[in-house]
Amino acid sequence: MKFKPADVSAAELDMTPMIDIVFQLITFFMVINKFDQDEADERVGLPRDTLARPPAVQRKNAFVLNFGFTKNQKGERLSEDPFLFIGDEQLTLEQLRPRLRQESQFYRTIGTSLEDVTVEIRADASVKAGLVQELIQMCQETGIEFQRFALKATQAAVQ
Amino acid sequence: MKLKSRTPSKIMLDMTPMIDVVFQLMIFFMCTLKVLEPEGDFDISMPLGAPSASTVNDAELPPFKVRMQADASGALQTLSFNGQSLGAGDQAFARLNSEVFRAITALQAIGKEQQEKQEVEIDPDYNLDYRHVINAIGACSGRLGPNGVPVRYISRIKFAPRREPR
Repeated sequence: MKFKPADVSAAELDMTPMIDIVFQLITFFMVINKFDQDEADERVGLPRDTLARPPAVQRKNAFVLNFGFTKNQKGERLSEDPFLFIGDEQLTLEQLRPRLRQESQFYRTIGTSLEDVTVEIRADASVKAGLVQELIQMCQETGIEFQRFALKATQAAVQ
Repeated sequence: MKLKSRTPSKIMLDMTPMIDVVFQLMIFFMCTLKVLEPEGDFDISMPLGAPSASTVNDAELPPFKVRMQADASGALQTLSFNGQSLGAGDQAFARLNSEVFRAITALQAIGKEQQEKQEVEIDPDYNLDYRHVINAIGACSGRLGPNGVPVRYISRIKFAPRREPR
C-alpha cells in the first residue's frame, strides 16, 4: 500500500487583523480630511483669539478675501506691501476693485441680495490695520456695496 | 481498506492585490491630510463705514470708543476706552474686556435691549498691526464662560473712519 506524503503547507499568515486595522486607518484619514477648506490660503498667518468661533450655520453666500504677504520658503517676507490672493493670482488693493465689481455684479445677476452676502476677510496678523479698513471701504463703494463682513481669526486654545 | 472521504478544500482568496490597493489608499489620505487649526469669526454684525441714517436712529447712545495708538513698528502703544487709557500689552485687552463688562452692566440697568443696540467704534492707527484689532474686537464681543461657552457683550462693532498714514 502506498502512503501519500503529507504535503508541507506553506506557512500562512492570518492577514485579517492587519486588514482590519488598515481599514480603520483609512476610515480615520477619510473622515478627518477636509477638502472644502481650499480657500484657506497658507500664505496668510491669521491672528489668534480665544473668542473666534466657526459660524454656527454655514454661510450660504460668502466669498473669501485672502490678504497677506508673499513669502519665500523660509517664511521671510518678499515685499513690504501685502497682496490679495485669489487662486493663483496676487493682486494689489487697486487691482482688486474691478474684481469686486464683477463679484458684486454676479450676485446681483443671480438675484441674491447683497445683504445676504458675507465678505470673509482673512488678513495676516501683521497687515496694517489701515489697509484692512481700506479694503473694507472698497467693498462698500458705490457699485460694489457689500454690507456684511466677517473678520477671520484662528481659534486660540484657552489657558 | 477504508477510503477517506475527500474534504472540500477551502477556497483561498489571494489578498495581495487588495492589500496593495488599500495601502495605496491609505498613503493617499495620509499625504493629502492638511493639519488646519480651526478658524472662526466673532459672530458680530459690522455696520461699517460712513454712518448711515439707520445706525444713527438705532443707537440712541453714542458708541463706545476704542482708540488704539501704534508705535512706528506697528506694535500697540496705548489702548484707550472712551478716552480712558488702559495701557498696552495683553493686560490692556483684559482691562478693556472688564471695562466693556462694566459699561454693559450699566446699560442693562436701563433696559435689556440697550445692550443689543450699543455699538463699539474701533479707531486704530493706520500702521497698527491687524492682530491688535482682532484682539480688541474679541475683548469687546464677549468673554469665555466657565465651560467654554462664550458670554456675549456687544455684537455691533464698527470701524471709525480710516486714519491717514503718518
